[in-house]
Amino acid sequence: MKTNAELYDERLNRIKAAVALEKPDRVPVIPVGNSFCANHLGVKPADFALDVELAHRTMLKSFTSLGEVDGIQQPVFSPYLLSFQWLSRVQIPGIDLPENVPWQVHEAEMMTTDDYDVIISKGYKYFFEDFLMNRLDNMLAKVGPVFGYTPTAIQNAKEAGVVTLSPVVLCSPYEVFCGARSMPKFMTDMRRMPEKVLEAMDIAQTQILEDSRQALRAAGCVGAWVGGWRAASEFLNPKLWERFAWPYFKQLVEMTVEEGVLPVLHMDSNWERDLERFKELPKAKCLFSGDHATDIFKIKEVLGDHMAIMGDVPAGMLALGTPDQVHTYCRKLIEGIGPKGFVLSSGCDAPYNAKPENVAAMIASVQG
Amino acid sequence: MSQTLINAMADLDESVLVSEVNALKTQGVAPLEIIQNLQEGMNIVGKRYEEKEYYLSELIMSAEIFKEAAALIGGDLSGANAASHGTFVMGTIYGDIHDIGKNIVTTVMGCNGFNVVDLGVDVPTADYIKAIQEHKPQVVGISCLLTTAFDGMKECIESIKAAGLRDNVKILIGGGPCDQTTADYVGADAYCKTAQDCVEYAKKLMDIK
Ligand code: B12
Repeated sequence: MKTNAELYDERLNRIKAAVALEKPDRVPVIPVGNSFCANHLGVKPADFALDVELAHRTMLKSFTSLGEVDGIQQPVFSPYLLSFQWLSRVQIPGIDLPENVPWQVHEAEMMTTDDYDVIISKGYKYFFEDFLMNRLDNMLAKVGPVFGYTPTAIQNAKEAGVVTLSPVVLCSPYEVFCGARSMPKFMTDMRRMPEKVLEAMDIAQTQILEDSRQALRAAGCVGAWVGGWRAASEFLNPKLWERFAWPYFKQLVEMTVEEGVLPVLHMDSNWERDLERFKELPKAKCLFSGDHATDIFKIKEVLGDHMAIMGDVPAGMLALGTPDQVHTYCRKLIEGIGPKGFVLSSGCDAPYNAKPENVAAMIASVQG
Repeated sequence: MSQTLINAMADLDESVLVSEVNALKTQGVAPLEIIQNLQEGMNIVGKRYEEKEYYLSELIMSAEIFKEAAALIGGDLSGANAASHGTFVMGTIYGDIHDIGKNIVTTVMGCNGFNVVDLGVDVPTADYIKAIQEHKPQVVGISCLLTTAFDGMKECIESIKAAGLRDNVKILIGGGPCDQTTADYVGADAYCKTAQDCVEYAKKLMDIK
């Protein structure tokens, strides 16, 4: 019988081997999800959303009770993290919504075009702190306890032999501005006032890089999400993508590698057009994690020799499919994308209404 | 017919578009005719999108400046749908507030000569039923980006049936995580991957070339 400490090392090494594009003893599996865990264990979304310790325990228990997992992607969850990350409002169950429904990001035009000028004249730090305080109702006070509890959560998981893959989330200026302006508004800004947006982005980027570096050092973590949500290739014409999205994203990834942390490229939506560009990132140092919107076999074809791949059991299959379907799909991934350089997971979060037996089937599938 | 306006719309050239709309207005061109030029420009936008010359970034911009131009024109646009091919009612199902895709579908359907009734987002079943009774659409579109809202679509379509309205309408669904399995699960007539699929389905249904 192995101790949890031994198990932790074994699992971490398995993940490291996959990232190094080697063939581990078996493909690692690292689920991700939050509202699913609450639903699975009958925890009220309202309680889960506001009690970070409960959220952590629920997530750890949910996934570990469904099979042998090598890690979890995130150790804690709070809807306020989404608010903090995208400068959007979130609606909280029990406060803005009924108690039994999951929280929801409510995108609105929270930032105006004048704010670009504020960033340019007063700096990003000023803008960001003022925004959190005055437009997001003192958000720092709400996320503070979540950040504060994160190290304990990571330690807790470690004691259970479970690796925490990516407790830190990094966002490029594109993602922050797009969230704060709303996607439609931001897309018009890039055409109507490109120079101003870029100037504000450059200022934001310097601050974001510095803050992110500090966050990585403080967390001492295995990996961090470097996220791509609204900057996906499918949304943007190549010229805009080239100017506003890629250079900033790339810098964040490079900084993360410099810090000795694994960038988990959390790429929602379809990035197929620009996959070649990811070869510019350091070889065998990143993990590309798609949400099933980018064809994972295409990712393998273009990037298979360059970086490890994680994914991508689709949300729809976890919610509506059967364990057999999930098993068949996972085996196809394990054999077709793996066994080298592959980590099994859901495509983005396992959704609220994923069937536990489907998540269990996913976790079991790495055993054969 | 103003080729300048059509091109400005198609090329998303906002400043030319605004000055041309104002010029046409001053010349006394009927609002309806100006709108038709814009719609023609929007059709070109749609084609460029299909051909991957344009992306969502351009579709959103086009919808934005189309709205802006329509506001400039003001006046009586009630005739705009007189020659419509039929009526299309659409909304995002309750529980879901994603509206970018829905807005694209309604804009594209509008530009293709359908009379569009947009119910908005987070639309309760009762509103779909009311709209079907009131507007007698041939096609109803439900947009859904969340797996958690699949059951809402199912319930909605069942209620439309229970209200005795199902036989008179075709119901299409679409949005990120949907596929044919979802359409079967919720009892829709078809799943559409893109806004253009929706146009083609509706045109075929109504026997329009
Ligand atoms: C932008 C976005 C948001 C914005 C929405 C802004 C807005 N005004 O719409 C905000 C930030 C508000 C948001 C919130 C949330 N989101 Co969101 N969001 C997205 C994102 C990145 C893009 C969606 C989009 O606009 N696509 C562009 C449009 C053009 O595409 P489309 O909608 O698919 O539409 C096209 C076709 O599908 C078709 N179509 C669409 N509908 C219909 C209908 C008919 C009848 C027809 C014929 C055709 C058709 O035509 C369109 C044009 O071709 C997607 C990722 C993705 N890949 O889709 C996630 C995504 C949809 N979101 C997701 C989630 C989970 C959420 C939240 C629950 C997150 C949270 N915890 O708060 C909330 C839910 C809020 C709510 N109650 O709805 C998940 C859903 C996964 C799942 N399990 O179901 C996705 C897939 C991201 C992910 N990978 O996890 N989101």
